[in-house]
Amino acid sequence: MSGLTRSPWVIHYDASSCNGCDIEVLASLTPGFDVERFGIINTGNPKHADIFLVTGSVNQPNRDVVRSIYEQMPEPRVVMALGICATSGGIFRECYNVAGGVDTVIPVDVYVPGCAVRPEAIIDGVVMALGILEKRRLRLRQDAQATSGDLRIERATAEDIPEILTIQKIAYRSEAEIYADQSLPPLQQSLAEITHDYERMVFFKGVINGKIVASVRGYDNGQGTAHLLRLSVHPYFQGRGYGQRLVAAIEQSFPACRRFEIFTGHRSERNQHLYGKLGYARFKSEPFNPQVEWVYMEKQRS
Amino acid sequence: MNSWGHVLIRVLIYLVAAPLLGGLLAGIDRRISARMQSRVGPPLLQPFYDVAKLWSKEPIVVRRSQNFYIIFFFLLTVFTGGLFFCGSDLLLVFFALTLSGIFFILGAYKASSPYSFVGASRELIQVMAYEPIVLLTAVGLYMATGTFQVDAIWGGAFHPLKALPGAHIPVLLLPGVFVALLYAMEIKFRKSPFDLAASHHAHQELVRGITTEFSGPTLAMIEVAHWYENVMLLGWIFLFFGSCWPAGLIACAVTYFLLLVVDNVCARVKWPVMLRSAWGMTLVFGFGNIVVLSLLK
Ligand code: SF4
Repeated sequence: MSGLTRSPWVIHYDASSCNGCDIEVLASLTPGFDVERFGIINTGNPKHADIFLVTGSVNQPNRDVVRSIYEQMPEPRVVMALGICATSGGIFRECYNVAGGVDTVIPVDVYVPGCAVRPEAIIDGVVMALGILEKRRLRLRQDAQATSGDLRIERATAEDIPEILTIQKIAYRSEAEIYADQSLPPLQQSLAEITHDYERMVFFKGVINGKIVASVRGYDNGQGTAHLLRLSVHPYFQGRGYGQRLVAAIEQSFPACRRFEIFTGHRSERNQHLYGKLGYARFKSEPFNPQVEWVYMEKQRS
Repeated sequence: MNSWGHVLIRVLIYLVAAPLLGGLLAGIDRRISARMQSRVGPPLLQPFYDVAKLWSKEPIVVRRSQNFYIIFFFLLTVFTGGLFFCGSDLLLVFFALTLSGIFFILGAYKASSPYSFVGASRELIQVMAYEPIVLLTAVGLYMATGTFQVDAIWGGAFHPLKALPGAHIPVLLLPGVFVALLYAMEIKFRKSPFDLAASHHAHQELVRGITTEFSGPTLAMIEVAHWYENVMLLGWIFLFFGSCWPAGLIACAVTYFLLLVVDNVCARVKWPVMLRSAWGMTLVFGFGNIVVLSLLK
C-alpha cells in the first residue's frame, strides 16, 4: 500500500444539490463518522485534492465550474458522484436547465447512489475510489518511465482534438513565461478554432500508453511548401527526442513538398536549437507584438 | 579537526532526527486536536503518509519558477535549523529564518493567483507581527547570559555582571520576554486564532492561502520544511531553560499542548487584531522585561 491510499484528500463541490447530500458529506467529517480516521481531509483546494466529490446534478451554469475544478486537480485523481442526482440527474433529470449526472461533463469513477447518500455509503465509495487511485498511480509511474521507444506516432483523428488542445496549452505555458505574455496565439486558441484548423491541416500525435503527450500540425500551401506549426510536447516528456520524431514524421506526410517552413519566438532558444538540429535555418523575422518577434526557419528537402 | 567532526555529527543527527520528530509532532497534534473535538483522529504517522502521497502526485504549477523559491525556502529553513542546533550565533539564526520566510512569500507571489496573493500578504503581516519579539528574544538572552552563542546558553552561561539569583536559567530573568514569545509562537506555528495566511482547515475564504498554488512534491517540501521549523521553534523555548534541560523538555511539551488548546478554542481573528495584540504583548511584556533587566544591577 502506498501513501496515496492512506491519505486521500477530497474536495467537495455542490453542483446543484438540494443540500441533502451536502449535509451528509459534512456529517461524515463530524465525530460520529470522523473520516479523518482514514486520513481523509476535506481540502477545499482542487490542487491539493485526490478525490473530487460532486453532489447534485449538473446544470448549464456550473458545467464549466465542474470541468475547471477537475482540470485543476493533479493526477492521479478520482471523481465520485454522490447521490442519485449526481449519478444520473435523479428527480431533476427532466428539468430544462439540467444537463444530467456528473458524467455528462467529466469522467466519473465511482457512483454512490442514495437520496440522500448516507455517510456509510460515502465512506464505502471512498474505499472503492482508493483502489482506482492506486491503479492510476502505478500507471502514471509507468508513463513517467516510458522511453522514446514507447512513443507511437500517428495521424490524429477528430476525437483527439480536445486532448491536443490541452497539450498545446500546457506545452506553451513555458513560452508565455519567456515573454511574460499570456496572449500568445497557441494559448488563446479555442476548441472551435482548433477544429477549424483540423479541417484544413494534417495533425500528428505522439501517444504513450494511450495518452497523447505531443502533437504537431502542418499544411501544404499549394506551391510546394509545407508550413509546420504548434509543435507541442508535454513538459514531462520534453528532452526525450519526441519533438524531433514528430517533425520528421509530419515532413514525410507531405511527399509533394520540396520546402518546409516553421516559426517560433525570437527568445525561444530551445525551439530554435531544436529546429536547427533538424536542418532548419533562419531566413526572416517579423514583429508580432512589442514583446515577441517571430523567427521563420526553412529547410529544403534533400 | 575534532571539533569539526563534532559539528558534522550534530548536523547529521539534526538532518535525520528533526523531520522525524517534526512529523511525529504533527501527528500528535492532529490526534490531540481530534480528541479535543471528541473524534478518534488519524493514525499517529498520518503526516508521513500525507507527505509520501504528495510526493507521488503530479506537480501542477502556474509558473515553473514558483517552485525554485520553495526549494530555497526549504534549504534555508533546514540551514537555519542546522545553525541553531550546531550552537551557532542566535542572531544569525533569526536572520536566516526571516530570509527563508521571505522566499516562501516570494514563491506565493510568483504563483499569481488571488488566493495565494492574499495568503502572501497576510504572511507578510504575520512576519511583521512576530519579528519584533523574535529580535527582543535575542536581546534579552544576550542581557541575561552575555552571549549570542546558542551553545554557550545551553551550557548555562550567565552574565557575570548580572549574577542575580537563578541567573543560569534565563527564563527566570526573562519571564516577560518568554510570555511574549509564546504569543508569537501561536503565529509561527500557524495556529488559530492567527492562522491567517494558511489554515489547516478547509472552507476558508482564502482556499489554502499561501499554499494554494503549490501541489504535489512542492507541497510535500513545504510540509517537511515546516517540520524542521517547528522543531527549531521548540528549540527556542528550550533555550530559555539554559542548562536545566529536564525543565526545558517539560516546557516544550507544555508549550505545544498550550498552543493546541488555544488553537481549538479560538476562532481566527482579523489581521489588525493580530498585529496590535502581538505588538502590544511585545511592548508590555517583552520590552518591559528588558527595561527592568537593564535597571537591575
Ligand atoms: S440525491 Fe436527494 S438528497 Fe441528494 S441532492 Fe439529490 S435530491 Fe438532494
